Amino acid sequence: MSKRLLAVGGLVAAALLVAPAVASAHGLVGKQDLPIPRWIFAWAAAAVLIVSFVALATMWATPRLQELREKTVWRIPGSPFFEVLGGMIGIAVFGVVVYAGLAGSQTAAENLAPTFIFYIFWVGVPFASALFGDVFALFNPWRALARGVAGLLGGLARGAGSEPLPYPRWLGRWPAAIGILAFAWVELVLPRSDREDPSTLAILALAYAAVQLIGMSVFGIQTWLRNADPFGVAFSLISRLAPLHWVDGELRVHKPLAGVVGLDPRPGTVALVCIMIGTTAFDGFSQGSLWNDVAPDIQRFFIDIGFSAEHGVTAAFTIGLVAMVLVVSAFYRLGVMGMRTVDESRSVAELSRLFAHTLVPIALAYVIAHYFSALTYQAQAMAYLISDPLGDGSNLFGTASATIDYGWISANAIWYVQVGALIVGHVGGLILAHDRALATYRDPSAATRSQYWMLVVMVGFTSLGLWLLSAASQ
Amino acid sequence: MSAPPLAHIGHWWTSILYLAPVVVVVVFLGVQSWRARRRKNESE
Repeated sequence: MSKRLLAVGGLVAAALLVAPAVASAHGLVGKQDLPIPRWIFAWAAAAVLIVSFVALATMWATPRLQELREKTVWRIPGSPFFEVLGGMIGIAVFGVVVYAGLAGSQTAAENLAPTFIFYIFWVGVPFASALFGDVFALFNPWRALARGVAGLLGGLARGAGSEPLPYPRWLGRWPAAIGILAFAWVELVLPRSDREDPSTLAILALAYAAVQLIGMSVFGIQTWLRNADPFGVAFSLISRLAPLHWVDGELRVHKPLAGVVGLDPRPGTVALVCIMIGTTAFDGFSQGSLWNDVAPDIQRFFIDIGFSAEHGVTAAFTIGLVAMVLVVSAFYRLGVMGMRTVDESRSVAELSRLFAHTLVPIALAYVIAHYFSALTYQAQAMAYLISDPLGDGSNLFGTASATIDYGWISANAIWYVQVGALIVGHVGGLILAHDRALATYRDPSAATRSQYWMLVVMVGFTSLGLWLLSAASQ
Repeated sequence: MSAPPLAHIGHWWTSILYLAPVVVVVVFLGVQSWRARRRKNESE
């Protein structure tokens, strides 16, 4: 009993230390009491990956995932109605969040906007997407608004509407990649006073919506959503890992991971996934001792060349964020370059695109590993925030007095979930890479040899993920 | 005054333990590739 109380107390204290206000979506970690040192988990994870690699090489001799086989399990009656309803709910939620940010208390923890944006939207939607498919597409408020306006204009001036401009092929998913990097910059680099300021977040949300609406009006709704809506594209990528596929008023099921195999690797796709992994990795890295040793020196450099202290911190964190994305990208490129030892006829760029989908489960694994704890705690805050979204003392649903139970899950259990997510995600990456190699090289032996360096990449990403988690929890 | 590098040796030491699996895999695969190349050369 006393141990449990101590653990709960430790968790609360840690949470208060780590998140004095609402904090953006950093993982909250309590005091762990693990039976073995954390680094042994990294060794065990590497062993699991090596065993998986050997098992794939010996027991998986032909491609099994390259053709998507789906089974329709439910034809949704009245699906257009649900689409409209989902869109209206999305618009309503977006409106409430923006209104709360602008009109509510400007104390982050009391306002609905920061918690909703950083936890429910940015962290919760990927979790839901990995389980249930592309749920965001149903509720996407910008899509709903654009379709509503397009329907209205089409009705008023049928036949007179101008055709959207052709979307440049070279642009691909680059707008989405840059948008996710920009959001990560707001979340991880912008000074806390700005990034957690509800009115700033509301204004940024409105600006984001404006950019999406303009983009959709210029290039067409579906084209823009498939390429350039950062959140829509990122969540859609994650949703491809789910066994559920909602399409054309039907619910279809397929093997887990199979949905991501058909990912069209248009320009910007590799960058987008590397940014998703790199920014999450930097979130963990920036909480560790190594970064805290190095960051002051970088900050001092910028102060010496004339930056203010605050701008020096911003510049140092910007460099750290970009550097981590570049490290992740370079590591992936290294794995791809290793494949050329088997067959030099394919270029690095071509192989990089061919294997881009293998990074998607890693991106999800990093999200789960780094944000699982934050989501489990901060999702509970929604209980009181929906009753008092403005932080003005109202109690709309009678839940304003609810609190966050930091003791519902132990710090050890969180660690095991994090380790499990990293291992499963990277084994998933290995399976996808092995299957694609079999389809690419035909000869199973060459396919296996081509994946030696991808194994190194997977072991490296797993070790990096565990090291970051370990550093953040010390 | 910045801390002497040895002051952070504890951080670095545990960090290296996380890097070790990657090094082991790289060395193992390197040796395997070298052996495969040697066998191929010998058979030619």
